[in-house]
Amino acid sequence: MKTKTSPHMAVNLGRLKLNNPVMTASGTFGYGEEYAGYVDLNKLGAIVVKGLSLKPRLGNPPPRIMETTGGMLNAVGLQNIGVDAFIEEKLPFLRQYDAAVIANIYGETYDEFKKVAKKLSSANGVHALEVNISCPNVKKGGVSFGTDPKIAATITRMVKDETGLPVIVKLTPNVTDIAAIAEAVEKAGADALSLINTLTGMSVDLKTRRPHLKNITGGLSGPAIKPVALRMVWQVVRRVSVPVIGIGGIMTAQDALEFLILGAKAVQIGTANFVNPRATMDVVEGIKQYLAENKIKDINEIIGTFQP
Amino acid sequence: MAANIYIGEILENEEIQEDCFLMKVKTAPSFQNPLPGQFVMIRIAGLNDPFLSRPISIYSFSRNENYCVIELLYRVVGKGTQIMAGLIEDSQVEINGPLGNGFNIQSVKENIVIVSGGIGIAPLSLLIEYLRQRDDCSSSEMIIYPGFQSASAVIGLDKMQKLCRNITVCTDDGTLGNKGFVTQIFQKDMKKYTPENTSLYACGPKEMLKALAKILHNTKFDCQVSLEERMACGTGACVGCAVAVKDKQGDPAYKRVCADGPVFNLTDIIWE
Ligand SMILES: Cc1cc2nc3c(=O)[nH]c(=O)nc-3n(C[C@H](O)[C@H](O)[C@H](O)COP(=O)(O)O)c2cc1C
Ligand code: FES
Repeated sequence: MKTKTSPHMAVNLGRLKLNNPVMTASGTFGYGEEYAGYVDLNKLGAIVVKGLSLKPRLGNPPPRIMETTGGMLNAVGLQNIGVDAFIEEKLPFLRQYDAAVIANIYGETYDEFKKVAKKLSSANGVHALEVNISCPNVKKGGVSFGTDPKIAATITRMVKDETGLPVIVKLTPNVTDIAAIAEAVEKAGADALSLINTLTGMSVDLKTRRPHLKNITGGLSGPAIKPVALRMVWQVVRRVSVPVIGIGGIMTAQDALEFLILGAKAVQIGTANFVNPRATMDVVEGIKQYLAENKIKDINEIIGTFQP
Repeated sequence: MAANIYIGEILENEEIQEDCFLMKVKTAPSFQNPLPGQFVMIRIAGLNDPFLSRPISIYSFSRNENYCVIELLYRVVGKGTQIMAGLIEDSQVEINGPLGNGFNIQSVKENIVIVSGGIGIAPLSLLIEYLRQRDDCSSSEMIIYPGFQSASAVIGLDKMQKLCRNITVCTDDGTLGNKGFVTQIFQKDMKKYTPENTSLYACGPKEMLKALAKILHNTKFDCQVSLEERMACGTGACVGCAVAVKDKQGDPAYKRVCADGPVFNLTDIIWE
């Protein structure tokens, strides 16, 4: 009897080599340990950790989240333990696993971005940096970094100068022309791009006539944003040659495959983890099944096969 | 981590009081025995709106060789709980749990005093059940102050009465038991207790816990309270369920109700 061979799932994002194209999205998987009881972390392509800043951040006052139809708003405000505590307390745990560890970084000033990048570069067990130039929650920075092509390029160059690790720049969808930003950061040396971050949104409480979120606005994520994310990935893959990571509303393997067919080399899963803690595993298995059913031996054979 | 995702089969889902339901769910025997104060994230499989799970504290729990039964006492407050309330026998739900820290019941003192408001009676009922089964608590005196808005909003009292004799029922409008807020009635009795010989537990609406914090301010009473907050993940990953507390150094910090709680020391909580 012929034994069924499992399809080849490894993908290369430039220098960053992954066992499979499925990663967790920053801020939705904690520091990995929160889901270790549900998911075999060895089976993930990569773990992208919660956004790290130079100093610990308190975050925004509650309420911070609100479910909306097909999505959720969050205004966590980048609460995190800070880069030093991450390296000391969380990284040793993550080092045990096969999954690549990608540190998502965030700063309020150019200098902070540089310092965080430098600290992580000399830490053992970080495989790449993902630069969040797009978080819409924090009033001081966030949006302005990611919405101006010049500033986005400057940050990219500064982080590149501080690190030998592959640098992924994560783009915000809250812009008029995402491809222009993508081109600017590619030119500035980005090794890969990831998109999209959350879309800024609101929700009103009819009883109190006040916002559901204390922060008033929040970032929309979940299935509601997938069509927007697909459109933006499509706009970007045509204009850049660096690898693109697709993010936004991926709940199932079918959703992930849409991004891969469009040309994303990998995907990140965010809000789906909250609904189904095993979502990442289900997507990996679902992609394998799709490939097997369609007699495709290698995942790379399907990436970018979209026909407009 | 011991929590996991289980398929639950609904045995019963009954409206026991206006907008208050008791759901009994049967699940696999591998479901871990919950600590009182722990909760589950419950979700209707395949439902898209709402798609996030809802946190519900465990009201009662039992098991036999073949299965476990989790009992949930919940109030209809929004879309999610409204759909839950419509589920009929044999429907399936997804259950993630048991989650959270639960009450600390390591050392229990001579007096066990419990203050509840409304649906807050649910996690405290499980606590009472547990303490009643424990030999080292058999000599402790248990005193319960269950508070409700009015007689027509009373829930879970029959179970309490089976477990405990010393119950001071309070209603805001005086339609049953003592008239007044449960915190006021408790305050009148406070001289009966000393911090050294009393273990204090509470759960209820924010305003009630806030009032209790005021009463206990500048006293030496320790009080464990179970909090509620909107949640997305329930497992500590999203930091969406924040509550402001004083950390070990006394500085303000946001803790996760789902993973660092839902039980906190009342004195640590920073009220707005
Ligand atoms: C609660 C929450 C926290 C997030 N925190 C971060 C973060 O720290 N850094 C970041 O780059 N993106 C963050 N994101 C954005 C996600 O990584 C992702 O880009 C977005 O949620 C869209 O994907 P999804 O629809 O699969 O959730 C966060 C999203 C959520 C829902
Ligand atoms: S609900 Fe996600 S951290 Fe508590």
